[in-house]
Amino acid sequence: MSGNAKLRRSVMFQAVLLVVLMLALSNAPVGDAIWLNVPPTGTKCVSEEIQSNVVVLSDYVVVSDDHGHVPTISAKVTSPYGNNLHHKENVTHGQFAFTTQEAGNYLACFWTDSHTRGAGEVSVNIEWKTGIAAKDWESVARKEKIEGVELELRKLEGAVEAIHENLLYLRDREAEMRATSENTNARVAWFSIMSLGICIVVSGSQIWYLKRYFQKKKLI
Amino acid sequence: MESKWGKIWGLIGLLLLNFVNNVSSLSLTITKVECVYEIVRSEGDIVSGNFVVVDHHIFWSSDHPGLDFSITSPGGDILHNLKGTSGDKFSFKAPRSGLYQFCFHNPLSTPETIAFYIHIGHIPNEHNLAKNEHLDPINVKIAELREALEAVTTEQKYLKSRDAVHRSTNESTKTRVIGYTVGEYMLLTIASVLQVIYIRRLFSKSVGYNRI
Repeated sequence: MSGNAKLRRSVMFQAVLLVVLMLALSNAPVGDAIWLNVPPTGTKCVSEEIQSNVVVLSDYVVVSDDHGHVPTISAKVTSPYGNNLHHKENVTHGQFAFTTQEAGNYLACFWTDSHTRGAGEVSVNIEWKTGIAAKDWESVARKEKIEGVELELRKLEGAVEAIHENLLYLRDREAEMRATSENTNARVAWFSIMSLGICIVVSGSQIWYLKRYFQKKKLI
Repeated sequence: MESKWGKIWGLIGLLLLNFVNNVSSLSLTITKVECVYEIVRSEGDIVSGNFVVVDHHIFWSSDHPGLDFSITSPGGDILHNLKGTSGDKFSFKAPRSGLYQFCFHNPLSTPETIAFYIHIGHIPNEHNLAKNEHLDPINVKIAELREALEAVTTEQKYLKSRDAVHRSTNESTKTRVIGYTVGEYMLLTIASVLQVIYIRRLFSKSVGYNRI
């Protein structure tokens, strides 16, 4: 892409983002969002390893360069056991929210619809929030009637608790991994000694069998 | 033109001051080239992030050949370029606002999975405000505190991804030890049985006693 086209495209993106942000400001808290290019054929999937009992919020919007024709995409979200959590066809925007029932890999796939194919890659703006980032601070503020600095400090407290939980989770995982490592270490030692033992046993039985065979054949 | 955009971004930045900027760490499968884009709303924001190559298809070698990673600013300059990494952290101050491009290129023929996390941190300062607005120092302090916590969270996401990679290596080692050892025992037994059968055949009657 030439420099001029790139500059024009980035300005276009900025303009579109401004519109999107203005529309989105009236809704739930805005977080950072990533933009992906969905190829004209095939699916683009993003996944995340999430534990159970975690709130997941997501919002996706199709952004197009042309003024007239906005391509549509289809989206599908599946749980690690294969359950379909969200499925929409032929949309330009959508959102889904769920609380995870099981721990595992959650997959969100996007693909372009057949009748809008040929328009090249479609840019999708995906906002994906899990856990503490998905918490609805508006309702907390309303319920407990806090605002301003106190609300900000409450958010920071939530972030610190999330960090603490993550740390405990990492520690547990590390303990499991250490157990596996030590187990493998012990097994390597045992299997090597057993390998030597089997070698001796097998060659011993070979010699014994052949000796018996030759004695039977009266060759010895 | 530039100052008008700057003011608009500043206004939006102020409005969004109360919201936590956060993106969860996502996994993406890369066949050839995959690019992730992020909008940086105001110049001077600190963009930090990390990525780890999760799916390892290596068999013999001890280290993954890695992917190529590059960050491109909206102006087209390449801010960061890494070749053959299996995971890295990055952090830079955005020279301008706009769309930043984070591209991964896979030189191998097998698709690789990466887990990445990008965080854009904004601390309000004098530049972004309109003329008659005041900057409350406590808001700046809270923003700094929030950014420090976000830095810890970013690091934790990196550790989590690396832990997942190490865990899969460990599990693979455990499976390999058991599988290859049992296979070795069976092969040893089969080889020795075949040896015995061959020697028997050499000494069988139809061939003759001493003619080998």
